[in-house]
Amino acid sequence: MPATAADLSSLRSILEQRFPDATPVTHRTTDQVASGISQLDRALPSGGFPRGRLSVWAPLGGATAILRAACYAITAAGERAAWIDGEHTLTSHSWIDGPALIKPTTRRNALRAAEEILRSGGFALVVMSGTEPVGSEAVRLTRAAREGGAALVSLTSASAMSSLRVSSQLDPRGYTWHRTPFGEPAVAHDVLVRVRARAMGWNAHTQFLVPVLHHELRLSLEPGLADRRGVRR
Amino acid sequence: MSYVCLWSPAWPIGAAFDADLAPALLACAPRVVVGDDNRIWIDARGLHAAQLAEQLLTVVRAHGVPHVRAGTALTPIAAECAAAHSPSTLTVVKPGTDREFIAPFLVSVLEPDLHLAELLEGLGIDTVGRFAALDAESIELRLGLDGVRLWSRARAEDDRWFFNTPLRALPSASLEWMEYALRDSERLLFVINSLLASVCTALVAQGERAREISIVFSLAGKTQYTHTLRSSRPTADQKRWLRLVRDALDQLTLPDAVMGIALSVDAITGNDGAQGDLFDRGFASADAVEIMLADLEDDQGDAVVAPSSTAHPLPERRTRWVAESPAHYLSRGMRGASLPLSARPSTTPELTLQLLSQPQAIVVDTATRRDHEVPVRYRDDDGWHDLVDVAGPDRVSGGEWESAFAREYFKCVREDGMLVWMFVAKDGRVTQPTDGAKDHWWFLQGWWD
Repeated sequence: MPATAADLSSLRSILEQRFPDATPVTHRTTDQVASGISQLDRALPSGGFPRGRLSVWAPLGGATAILRAACYAITAAGERAAWIDGEHTLTSHSWIDGPALIKPTTRRNALRAAEEILRSGGFALVVMSGTEPVGSEAVRLTRAAREGGAALVSLTSASAMSSLRVSSQLDPRGYTWHRTPFGEPAVAHDVLVRVRARAMGWNAHTQFLVPVLHHELRLSLEPGLADRRGVRR
Repeated sequence: MSYVCLWSPAWPIGAAFDADLAPALLACAPRVVVGDDNRIWIDARGLHAAQLAEQLLTVVRAHGVPHVRAGTALTPIAAECAAAHSPSTLTVVKPGTDREFIAPFLVSVLEPDLHLAELLEGLGIDTVGRFAALDAESIELRLGLDGVRLWSRARAEDDRWFFNTPLRALPSASLEWMEYALRDSERLLFVINSLLASVCTALVAQGERAREISIVFSLAGKTQYTHTLRSSRPTADQKRWLRLVRDALDQLTLPDAVMGIALSVDAITGNDGAQGDLFDRGFASADAVEIMLADLEDDQGDAVVAPSSTAHPLPERRTRWVAESPAHYLSRGMRGASLPLSARPSTTPELTLQLLSQPQAIVVDTATRRDHEVPVRYRDDDGWHDLVDVAGPDRVSGGEWESAFAREYFKCVREDGMLVWMFVAKDGRVTQPTDGAKDHWWFLQGWWD
């Protein structure tokens, strides 16, 4: 006898109750953490990163910039965010007071720190960069995220256990340059970022301009000397 | 403040005293004090004094106390006179008329001591009103300081306060030693830990939490050095205070050896919970986060860090990451919502520089652009990458007195859109293996992401 629509609906609700992690984020059964970037939030299936779930974001392509901005937005809204910098690539240039910054010395320490932070229940968003959880590690972190209720975003290409997969790419022809008098590129002003978000039953694209923060080289001869460029003599 | 004074010429004492009287009075008003000379004082602040006095009279009479009288007034002396020296059972002194009310009474109602009473009699002052009419200078000249106090009371300026709650001494502990002097922080920490144990135990016993604790170091030079610790959240947890002490001792430089330590709690709060911030959505989890960060610190050392920037020209030497204590993180981490908009970090995404821990050697093909060479493609561990845009060079050099450096930096856009930062070392002193016979060495320093 063929199943009726009511049977399917009841089966679905039973499955959602028994296996809440298996429920697609498109069903909006979980709360979300808005990234604070309206274009991105519109492209994400539940309007943000799902709480208590693992989301993965493919490294590079402006991922750090977007996730860092999301951390600041969450902190500004009165919640906590943490960034686990496994490869120690962040510079002071790219970090301002706000989220908790963890620089673990080993990969194992990074995973342990992530688990403790997630289980504490005090963070809305935890970003892992430079450490890719694999196999049972991803399972364990997913469980910790569910217990603590934080949205976990891992900068990795491995998408196992993830509810949401996001990738972004910088458009090589999308840079806006301040040019020299000779017409050569001098300082990059902004760049076009294309973001693609995928989940079960969801595939969305968006694109927006991201400014490039210029890194000012200090041209003084000695470290101890003051940099007097621009000072009126 | 208003007072109710109950007076009876003969309160029952001993076996005649009804044990239920005190609870019955306390049921009417929360603060009741037994005073001298058969008086009972009731704090009527916030209550209707006249109704309260009637209620108290009913209660007292129901417990078999005869001839009880009550008086209510804004000052104790007026309430006292109304109860003990007025003929009616209940006298309510109208607010603002206390001085006029007590003026007709004899000065004996002020209860001067024998010496003052004789002086007043000698001066011919018989009523409170006549005494109050004198000026302060003449009173001070003739009757001294006690006379001035009595004169103030005659003017219904009565500063007696019956309902003081006794100040409880805050927990403290100390230890001194004579035979030796301590300098190393580990031994000091050992001593402070034992002192903290007794202080925290006392706090827990009193149901209080410390917000500030002072450590007073008695130094060998017979001087003292005081350091105050402040917890972001009031706590009686010994482990948490010890962590703060450890942080402080790491940064503290004592001018001399230590021969004694005293620990005292400076500020406390009750266990009724800390005041929350309306915009602090993480307030409820602050304790859990602090404990977690402390555990992380114990487990991994200085894992939670904050940048400390210098002005070094070389990017890889510019930033030093310093440990951030859990208390410091909590004190600054949640204030985002309470900062003015202009002071908040930008929530607009920006590509920022990411650095490799060490510059990575790469092979670069260059082309001539006007008077200099610029990279057109490079090879790293992932193979060759073509470059579609190149900005630079930005030249930086220095370090002649330590380790000299001279670099030319290029910002390059790869064909996949990644903006990378590479430099060519020009000083010839970089101890990096070269690729072939190139006289310039190229390195990848970082990228924008």
